[in-house]
Amino acid sequence: MNVTVASPPVSPTSVSRWHTARPWLGTLVRLGLAAVWLVAGGAKVGDLAGSGRAVNAYDVMPYDLAKIIGAALPFIEIALGVLLLVGLATRLAAGISTALLTVFIAGITQAWSRGLQIDCGCFGSGGQLGAGQTPTYGPEILRDLGFLTLAGFLLIWPLTHISIDSWLEKK
Amino acid sequence: MSSRAGQKQASRVVRDHIAREKRRSRTLWTSIAAIAVLVIAGLIGWGIVASQTSDTYTAPAGAVENGTGIKVGTGPVQIDIYEDFICPACGQFEQQTGATLDQLVAQGKATVVYHPLAFLDSKSSTDYSTRAAAASGAAAQDGKFREYAKALFAQQPAEGTAGLTDDQLIQIGRSVGLTDAFAQAVRDGKYKPWTAHVTDQASGDGITGTPTVRVGGKDVQPTTQAILAAVG
Repeated sequence: MNVTVASPPVSPTSVSRWHTARPWLGTLVRLGLAAVWLVAGGAKVGDLAGSGRAVNAYDVMPYDLAKIIGAALPFIEIALGVLLLVGLATRLAAGISTALLTVFIAGITQAWSRGLQIDCGCFGSGGQLGAGQTPTYGPEILRDLGFLTLAGFLLIWPLTHISIDSWLEKK
Repeated sequence: MSSRAGQKQASRVVRDHIAREKRRSRTLWTSIAAIAVLVIAGLIGWGIVASQTSDTYTAPAGAVENGTGIKVGTGPVQIDIYEDFICPACGQFEQQTGATLDQLVAQGKATVVYHPLAFLDSKSSTDYSTRAAAASGAAAQDGKFREYAKALFAQQPAEGTAGLTDDQLIQIGRSVGLTDAFAQAVRDGKYKPWTAHVTDQASGDGITGTPTVRVGGKDVQPTTQAILAAVG
């Protein structure tokens, strides 16, 4: 008796296509996330005191600590961007990205729920909003969730083309 | 299983094991390198800010004891005004409430401490906030803080521009009767460290935006009505 084997939900060709495409898609994701960090850090690095004030505006830590975090953060973001750009320790960089983005989202959420009138300072400026300006917490959170998706992809599939990681893997 | 097949399998196990070990040590070393890069980056930022923060500033005449603002008047109630010379809402506040504050001072009802700070340097291409606030310090040194501040707000540049030049800042000073000593102080940026001090202290005191008004140390809406009500 011939038994027809149920065809798998995903046909072998599409599986192999995914296997070919994934590292390239991963490269795009990696470069995209790298750009996010480089732009975010670059926008803040010229005004470290302002960056400290933006952190202070979240009102979750003493000003002296906010100053240090605000000064260190732009450089950490740029370093993270560079690591992702060259594809070194991608999974670790993706993990740290995830952690940072989660903290950012938590920070914006608490500001929103407490009714603070601040700019997230995600890409420079930041701090309290002027009269007549309304905060845009919703879009800011959605944007960070989008970035979180990129980081999540790399956390699951860190090996991408044109990266130091894959070059080391072949060696 | 033939012994040859067994040998083959054994050597594959060994190869796999070696490959796994190699991968593990590679991941370890790249992770250590990446973390080192991140830690160094963070320390650079910290180091830069620590080196920028200087405790040496010259407070102009008329400054309060801790140097965080310019004191006007001697009334019993203290009103603190935190303002940035490029902030549009501060310009409106000066227009609408400035005269009332002057009146409270003239009547001996209030002491007004003005904290000219630089939160919004990024809103101009020339750090206008810092330059204007420092110039107001130079004006205070010659006893004309209020006159100068009012004149600056009357000619307030828009956000996103280059702001006024140092020459224009000096010219406005001359229009309210300030002289060469003022001009020299503006050109030398003599009171820029003081502006940094005022800005930093205001942040430490929980000021996150401008204009902020405090009457007797308590936040009050920046309106004439609210201020008058709080002064009593």
